[in-house]
Amino acid sequence: MKTLASTFLGLMLVAMATVVAIARADAAAGKEVFQGSDCQSCHYTQGPATEKSIDDQLAKKGPELWYAGSKFQGPWLQAWLQDPQPIRPMKFNSVMEPNPGGHPALSADQVGPVTDYLMSLTSDAVKAGTVKVKKKNLKGRLIFIKKMPCSGCHQFPTKKKFSGGLSGPSLVGAGQRLNPDWVLAYLQQPKVFKPVKMMPVFVGLLSDKDMKNVAAHVATFK
Amino acid sequence: MSRFFLMGLLTLILGPTATGVAQAADGEKLFQFYCAQCHGTEGKGDGPNVTGDFPVDPRNFTETAEMNKLSDADIRNVIIDGGPIADKSPMMPPWGKTLNDDEVEALVRHLRQLCNCTGKAG
Repeated sequence: MKTLASTFLGLMLVAMATVVAIARADAAAGKEVFQGSDCQSCHYTQGPATEKSIDDQLAKKGPELWYAGSKFQGPWLQAWLQDPQPIRPMKFNSVMEPNPGGHPALSADQVGPVTDYLMSLTSDAVKAGTVKVKKKNLKGRLIFIKKMPCSGCHQFPTKKKFSGGLSGPSLVGAGQRLNPDWVLAYLQQPKVFKPVKMMPVFVGLLSDKDMKNVAAHVATFK
Repeated sequence: MSRFFLMGLLTLILGPTATGVAQAADGEKLFQFYCAQCHGTEGKGDGPNVTGDFPVDPRNFTETAEMNKLSDADIRNVIIDGGPIADKSPMMPPWGKTLNDDEVEALVRHLRQLCNCTGKAG
């Protein structure tokens, strides 16, 4: 019996090691695709953030991805990379120019490895399991819609369809797209992720509890 | 040694901006980056966030008569603490944790250029 148990345990360890090795191999292959497909001409993947001025921010052609694995949810990212639809109503870094779309799509054989690669890019500033997501978070909703101006810049889902401003990334579907723990970390430590950005800093204006409620509310967006 | 002495002398004579040691905040650039999303690139209150859903009308900074009713301190306070400090909408965010004092002053100066007015004293 003891021999059987140790054999089973050994097999499990081998299986786990194999899964990890395959994931690493896929991430390495994904990195090659990413670098070979000119993705880096718009997205930088080497953290930490170095932007120090508005000019530095405006020089970027697309969102930084060095913490993509902390920010996004893997299944959403994989689906989006194959069929990329605009997330921002306005063109990146533009106030007046609508987003023309047209982000390049990855093929079926590229998308898995690139997703693995991007999901391997994480930030230590994001602590897993900090935000408790429930069906509703009324305190977070109140802050999002009334107490603070979040809805002024971000689209969000409503009973009719959606509402909100256009200058920030849309939060429609954020429950599937964003990691709630990253949303919290982004509110708590904005300079880690985007040292210069059009969104106000809320540190010192919202408590940690308020920020957790907002992150939990955003996680309910379908 | 003499090079450092000359640089120090230049800084004293020309001021820090001229020698690149420090630069004054650029009100126009700050406005386009932070404010235009609601107030519009020309400050007319017509930025891209002002859709049919937007609950208030962002201030039109080119309305001289309205802007003249405000002192620089009134404008400064709203930039730092947001709309509610002046009984206005929370859709005007508090920028006090985002902008430093120089940047706030640069924005106040830029708004005075947009309204072509000096505002009331105070």
